Amino acid sequence: MTADRTRTVAIVAALAVAVAAPFVLPTYLVTLLSLVFIAALLASSIDLLAGQGGLLSIGHAGIAASAAYAIAWGTTESLALPIQLGLALVVTLVVSAVYALTTMRTRGIVFLMITLALGIVVYGLALKLSTITGGQNGLTGIDRPEVLASSSAFYLLTVAAFVLAVVFRAVLARSSFGLVLRGIRESESRMSSLGYSVTRAKFLAVMLSGLLAGLAGVLIVWQAEFISPNVASFNRSAMAVVMVILGGTGTLLGPLIGAGVVVGTEHWLSSYVERWPTLLGLVFIAVVLFAPGGVVGAFSRWRHGAVRDRQHAEPGTRAALPSLLEDQGLAGGVDGRPSEPQ
Amino acid sequence: MSLEFLALQVLNGLTFAALLFLVASGFTLVFGVMRIVNLAHGALYLLGGAIGISVAAVTGSWVLGVVAAGISVGLVGLFSERLLLHRVRGRELPEVLLTVGIALVIADLILAVFGGNPRSADPPPPLVGGTPVGPVTYPTYRLFVIGFAIAVGVILFVVQQRTRIGAVLRAGVDDREMVSAMGIDVDRVFAGMFLVGSVLAGTAGMIAAGLLTIRPGADTEILLFALVVVIVGGLGSIGGAALGSVLIGLIDAFSRVWLPELSYFAVFAPMAIILVLRPAGLFGKSTS
Amino acid sequence: MDDRTRGKPGSWRLGVLGAITVLVVTACGGAATTSAPPASAAPPASEAPASAPASEAPASAGAGGTVTVGFISPTTGFVAALGTDMKRGWDLYWELNGNTAGGVTVETVYEDDAGDPEVALTKARRLVEEVGVDMTAGPILANTAYAVADYVGGQGVPSFHISGADDLTQRQFNPLVLRVGYTSSQSNFPAGKWAFDQGYKEAVTICPDYGFGWESCGGFVSGFTGAGGTIKEQIWHPLGTQDFGTYVTQAQAAAPDVVFIGSAGGPDAILFWESWTSFGMGETPLVGNCCFADQVLLRDQGEAANGIISFSYWTEGADSAEVKKFVEEYESRYDEIPSLYAAGSYLMAQVIAGALEATGGQVDGENFVKAAQGLTFDDSVYGPISFDDTNNIVGGVNREHVEARADGKFWNVVDETIPDVSQFWTYGKDAFLANPVFSRDFTSQ
Repeated sequence: MTADRTRTVAIVAALAVAVAAPFVLPTYLVTLLSLVFIAALLASSIDLLAGQGGLLSIGHAGIAASAAYAIAWGTTESLALPIQLGLALVVTLVVSAVYALTTMRTRGIVFLMITLALGIVVYGLALKLSTITGGQNGLTGIDRPEVLASSSAFYLLTVAAFVLAVVFRAVLARSSFGLVLRGIRESESRMSSLGYSVTRAKFLAVMLSGLLAGLAGVLIVWQAEFISPNVASFNRSAMAVVMVILGGTGTLLGPLIGAGVVVGTEHWLSSYVERWPTLLGLVFIAVVLFAPGGVVGAFSRWRHGAVRDRQHAEPGTRAALPSLLEDQGLAGGVDGRPSEPQ
Repeated sequence: MSLEFLALQVLNGLTFAALLFLVASGFTLVFGVMRIVNLAHGALYLLGGAIGISVAAVTGSWVLGVVAAGISVGLVGLFSERLLLHRVRGRELPEVLLTVGIALVIADLILAVFGGNPRSADPPPPLVGGTPVGPVTYPTYRLFVIGFAIAVGVILFVVQQRTRIGAVLRAGVDDREMVSAMGIDVDRVFAGMFLVGSVLAGTAGMIAAGLLTIRPGADTEILLFALVVVIVGGLGSIGGAALGSVLIGLIDAFSRVWLPELSYFAVFAPMAIILVLRPAGLFGKSTS
Repeated sequence: MDDRTRGKPGSWRLGVLGAITVLVVTACGGAATTSAPPASAAPPASEAPASAPASEAPASAGAGGTVTVGFISPTTGFVAALGTDMKRGWDLYWELNGNTAGGVTVETVYEDDAGDPEVALTKARRLVEEVGVDMTAGPILANTAYAVADYVGGQGVPSFHISGADDLTQRQFNPLVLRVGYTSSQSNFPAGKWAFDQGYKEAVTICPDYGFGWESCGGFVSGFTGAGGTIKEQIWHPLGTQDFGTYVTQAQAAAPDVVFIGSAGGPDAILFWESWTSFGMGETPLVGNCCFADQVLLRDQGEAANGIISFSYWTEGADSAEVKKFVEEYESRYDEIPSLYAAGSYLMAQVIAGALEATGGQVDGENFVKAAQGLTFDDSVYGPISFDDTNNIVGGVNREHVEARADGKFWNVVDETIPDVSQFWTYGKDAFLANPVFSRDFTSQ
């Protein structure tokens, strides 16, 4: 079909541009783009849970930070690279399991608050366990593996990692597990009465999302070659969530757009505009007012020329306990279109 | 550990609890009752403190500072509700993004106008010094903060539970169409309550300025605490917010003494535990 | 959108859009005027990015014409006040000296690190790789300083710091890094010794529970116990403590002869002082570190802080020509007495200028830093200073107290100066470095 072919061409073209960037742009901008892709990766991990499962986590920087510290510690102990990566994987799995076990029976605002608390606990541990983590001062000299030493090589890795996440999320969305998650998002009771184990599904979802976050963490520490507890801070987690909403929840590229806007402003625009936080805030406000489904949602709307379906529940049918995200706000499945077999 | 020391820590905990409640009370109204995710609440608190301190410094009157803080922030809150928040009522994700944006703008404008120097407000002369409380002498201003918080709590509770406005509010949250079918302008009531919530935030900022400092970053810190208190106490419950504040305040004070190693987790870990065990919070209504 | 609101006229959107546009224009417009140093002869600092791809080679010597300095400070974020003061102090020096030194024009490019190490790194990268600065100056927070020093040094570019993070000139020494300042522990050694010499036998210390706090208290504990005193209790408070009531009452209960407060300055100092006074601790002897009774506290709590004793390298009321001149010029512009962050940045500019004079405007890596290290000042805003061989200041530490100035503002005046204090105190470099860096477990020398 032509629509599909246009899409394929667009994707290939975008990838080509992304890959060509380091040969055209100065190293500083290439590094900046790496930051964007890493942030997009973390945001993607959050959107896996939010877009499919309707679960918003505001503590995911904690998982990323755990993996990052594992690598940092491994480097200071001069462990071989495969061992470092293995350690990072183990730490990611353990921390994700903690997140998963504490939250798998919850949803909505309660899920949010538990993940908030966990993120803060990780931050606190990073500060306290200073013999391992360097405490507030952090650890310097966490050199990347030799092959990634150049900013171009590292950048390509971040692009690859993000593409991997996109593919992963797309596959997940189209899989039966994705259907289960979306079913849970719509109605947990219905899913469990149909025989699905809701808690097991949520556990798995958090673990999968945690893997992506852990990958982001490894890239974070390699990018900066430095680590400090800031990586696990509430601000980091909150901004990642903002990126997801900004780009459009439940979309594949939304996290990248959100990351571009936020990272671009914090790290690049701030060199030229003193009142950059005001600018960033205004951008958020503008997006909400003029592109309520996120940037990607607005783009699809414009492209299809149709009026978006209502994105809110009928007022008056709200549950007594606000289940954040339960029956609204999310633009359905992949690409902002309602989830349906492709 | 002596009785005096114990009494002091209890009072320290209650002071912090009072402060938390003042900030959380407005948040509980807006978030807990009206289900509006207003992440700009911390920024409103900061704005109240900043304006209040300046007005008090210029006029020499602390009371004027408190009043100015409450009124000005109330207006800012009302504006943002009518112009912006109104448009996304009921959709939490856009509300999150919108209010984060508003918070960023307010906080940065405060920095631009008032500068980044941390500032505090001198308590008015009658509240300076100490007052004997049982075995100890405790700073009068802190006792005032506790008393003020109790007063605010009682008023809110009475209004929400016993007056017509409160009933309309609670009904409007549960079933908006029915309430407006009864001829009540739910929009107006909501706007009014948002105004009240904002006034509370601004006033809390100025009151807190006598005890804490107003500076960049204070908005996020206090917002986190307010969230914790409201969640622990259970959404929609003034009484819950009050008890949540006391619980968090006391835990905070005593953990600093007995478990200084765990200072960062001291407040957030209990919250996580409570939520895992009792998702509706201490006093929230559970879902059917 | 809600059905009910969709019907409303769309003109509000135009209004909001208009308001947003105005705000955006103002925000961007603000950039051009606020980023450049006041009354500077040099072109505006925040120029468009260089179009030529920058190489990753170390910044070459800016011989002859212009030397560019990348100035990094937190002008937004929770320590915005410090960043603003730093910028002002730095700018003031160049303004008074015509933006030239050693025959070259000195141009500054400013970056905001927002108090975040990752942002600081991105900005440092921009400065080195894109703008191609010859050296960097700043930032202030310890973790940002470590990150920037590591990166910039790795690129072969000199970096100058005022941050007190001890290891910058100790265990993480780098010949391309020079600190125009004192370590966090340095000024507290004499404080400890003095306290003991006053007859105080038992002390309680209160410091924030992280590197800066450990180092600050470490200095005091080392000096105090080294002279013969004992530490009764060490009270550590977490970063971001709002209410010091608990810690003050703990100190009260311990009833020591003297209390040492190793404040990170700014809001912490104010909050601590509020609790201290409201709990009636005014009678207990208190000794503050460099940053406790700094102007950031005094601007807010001047009157209440009257009489506080502290040990610092910056005393704004010092009776010296350099200090007087600096304070006068600064105050005439900003209507505020300068803090140690402003003074430190001013001195940093002065040191860089001195190095440029010594090298005739040549900036080539280690040699330039060596030139700076070789400088000696008979008088400066910190008094007479020189540098030791790990690139840290050796200079006087003042015992000072807060008092009212003639016009009613409050500031510190000097009671006694302990000359030539080094970062290693009396222990000698090798013995000192043989021990690990100060941590919260350090209770006795």
